[in-house]
Amino acid sequence: MNESLAGEHQTGAMQVVMIGLGEEKFALDAGLVREIIDPVPVTKVAGARAFVPSVINVRGNVIPLADLRIRFGMPQLDNSADTRIVVIELELDGEPVLVGVTADKVYEVTEISQTDVQQTPRVGMHWKPEFIRFIAKWREEFVIVPNMERILN
Amino acid sequence: MSAMDPTEVFRQEASELFEVLEGALLDLGLRPDDRELVDSAFRALHTIKGSGAMFGFDKVASFTHEFETAFDRVREGEIKPTQDLISVALAAKDYIRALIEDPQSTDDVIGDGILDDLKRFVSSDQPVAPVAEITAAAPVESKQAGWHLYLEFESHILRNGSNPLDLLEDLCKLGPCFVVPVTDGIPFLDEMEPEDCYLKWDVKLHAVCDKDAIDDVFMFVQDEMKLTLSPLEHVEAPAPMPLFQLLDEEPAPVAEMPAPVAEAAAPKPAAKAEPKSEPKPEPKAEAKRDDRGIATVRVQAERLDELMDRVGELVIAQARLTQLASSGSDLSIKMIAEEIERLASSLRDTTMGARMVPIGSLFGRFRRLIHDLSRDLSKPVEFVTTGEDTELDKTMIECLADPLVHLIRNAIDHGIEDTATRAANGKTEQGRIELAAVHSGAQVLVTVKDNGGGLNTARIRAKAEEQGLIAAGAVLTDHEIHQFLFHPGFSTAQTISALSGRGVGMDVVKRTIENMRGTIDLSTRPGQGTTVTLRLPLTLAIIEGLLIRVGEGRYIIPLSAVEECVELTAEDERARGRNFLNVRGNLVPFLRLREIMSSSGSPDRHQKTIIISTGESRVGLVADQIIGNHQTVIKSLSKLHSDVTIFSGATILGDGTAALILDVAQLVALAQSKVEKQHISEAA
Repeated sequence: MNESLAGEHQTGAMQVVMIGLGEEKFALDAGLVREIIDPVPVTKVAGARAFVPSVINVRGNVIPLADLRIRFGMPQLDNSADTRIVVIELELDGEPVLVGVTADKVYEVTEISQTDVQQTPRVGMHWKPEFIRFIAKWREEFVIVPNMERILN
Repeated sequence: MSAMDPTEVFRQEASELFEVLEGALLDLGLRPDDRELVDSAFRALHTIKGSGAMFGFDKVASFTHEFETAFDRVREGEIKPTQDLISVALAAKDYIRALIEDPQSTDDVIGDGILDDLKRFVSSDQPVAPVAEITAAAPVESKQAGWHLYLEFESHILRNGSNPLDLLEDLCKLGPCFVVPVTDGIPFLDEMEPEDCYLKWDVKLHAVCDKDAIDDVFMFVQDEMKLTLSPLEHVEAPAPMPLFQLLDEEPAPVAEMPAPVAEAAAPKPAAKAEPKSEPKPEPKAEAKRDDRGIATVRVQAERLDELMDRVGELVIAQARLTQLASSGSDLSIKMIAEEIERLASSLRDTTMGARMVPIGSLFGRFRRLIHDLSRDLSKPVEFVTTGEDTELDKTMIECLADPLVHLIRNAIDHGIEDTATRAANGKTEQGRIELAAVHSGAQVLVTVKDNGGGLNTARIRAKAEEQGLIAAGAVLTDHEIHQFLFHPGFSTAQTISALSGRGVGMDVVKRTIENMRGTIDLSTRPGQGTTVTLRLPLTLAIIEGLLIRVGEGRYIIPLSAVEECVELTAEDERARGRNFLNVRGNLVPFLRLREIMSSSGSPDRHQKTIIISTGESRVGLVADQIIGNHQTVIKSLSKLHSDVTIFSGATILGDGTAALILDVAQLVALAQSKVEKQHISEAA
């Protein structure tokens, strides 16, 4: 964790895609994001873990659709006009995996600079600390940079 | 092709030659008198030597040369190939392979040792003659004083790095040559391409040598040249003459060519036929061309994979078109959609056919394994293979290699008893291992069968109890007990040998087979042997599926597993607690897919049952609706869903949504465990 933080410090600014989940704002590392698409019909996978309840077809590939809201204990909202699917590519056990992530809203692609980075507070959080890489400040708001590898494993 | 690293080409070619060589050597162990085998081994060696030298593998070339020299005495019929000789020859082959693939790992000392062994086995009073002399002195054709050659190279020959002058020099080593360049092809200076070869050569070779020896000289350029060869009838004084005199005496060679015996104008190098055993002298050139007639083209495996992907996408797009056309009313669109459906399905079949490889290519590898194991364990074993022609998708062949190695090792190490035990039990001293492949519907069955002692059920049971896998005294069938062999870390071997007994293996074998959507089954008869049966699907890429609807969701059942579809009768419905179906007098357990998929909404009034089967077990699956056949392009589920076992993959339907493919084996197992639970609760 500290190492990755140090890395961010050296590179200075970090490109992120700002998405909204429920009341919170999350900053996804833009390097992970492959594309952002409109909602598509989903196929439920019976017996799957709750945070990856379904699969979708993205350009001929069947990829899992993850719901971070479940991981962070948020209520699930129905799809609205703002709902998007952010397709990200992750390394899971050494293999690249495409995963769709439902976002209640996608704000913008932006930069968060190193001075905005806050250490994850040890107390006062109702989320599992390992899901969070760090917390940054963006336009006077706190945003969460999630650790996607941990969340999806 | 041209972009490929030439060294890589050599490696590929060499690895094929090694297979030929190994196969020939092993066969030679069984049929020491077969001249064809000696020749094909020799040819492979010779080519390895030649190409090795050409690509700068000097160590390979010199070692192979020594090997060849020693082996030549076998070819001459002076030495019989004994088992010892063959073992050393195999070791030598491995050494050459190591020299090519991983030169760092080799040591001259090892190579010299092998050569010494080789020489010792073929040694006799005479010193071993170097190979060039042998070929030169090889069978003579009647009273013939030499050869008249006319060489015409393709103009780009120089660009490939071949040097015609070097070839001529090699030719001169066969005997005195008179070489006359033919210059009539040379264009005017301003039309001349500096990198092209315009010269042709007319050569008189005054040497009594085999035609093969001449062919050997041009072996690597034969696809890029025209070689016209005819015997020289009368002896001409091989004394050197001044050039002008020679030119005067010889008429223009192009115009007056004696009837050509062989004209080696061959197709492109990609269509290279595997070196086969050819009839020896005259018809050689003919036979070679016939081989090429079958025209195999070497294609990179990735290209085939890409092609398969494209076809998969095409099939999906076609399904969408068909759906769209059938919902509209335009008749001409419908006709086009049908036409495209037909084309797509035949294209799919052709593409899959192109990926099919006979399983024999895999079986060949195991002969060496058995040869070595049977020597190391001093258990003589006869190895029988059947159904080598059975074709399987190439990716499956690759995946099958490791599991089969394991099963064969097990068969020899655990299955076959030692010679004394066999004799005591009244069996032949030589054990027998059969490897067979056969088509069975849309599946391929691969069996590994030994005639050893069979599984020791009591010992497996004891071990399972010891490891706490079952309670002591639990009632289990033999079949169930044998399943413990697939349990990770389970080994009953009393001693751990270098080969087996560490308990890693059978579980890996099982997992590998199941990853291929196959199943593995064991059957054994005490004292008679064990048979392991692998059931594999024909292909991994596209299957015929049955599309069904359960609640809102649509699912695919592999059609190969479907036996029949029946309606769930009111009577079956009423007997809710039983979950058995009466199919023409047979009781078949059934699963309600609505429950498994936890579908919402109310079920359709007329529930359908799809009877699926794996091997002997039949299970009914109750669905809301049977939609119909579906060409299913299989997409694997990601790692995030690897914990979901009832689906083996996913596909994309005509409307672009994803649908899941049911894993038949898992569902059958699920149904069976339910039945057992029911039995237990009924018994209680």
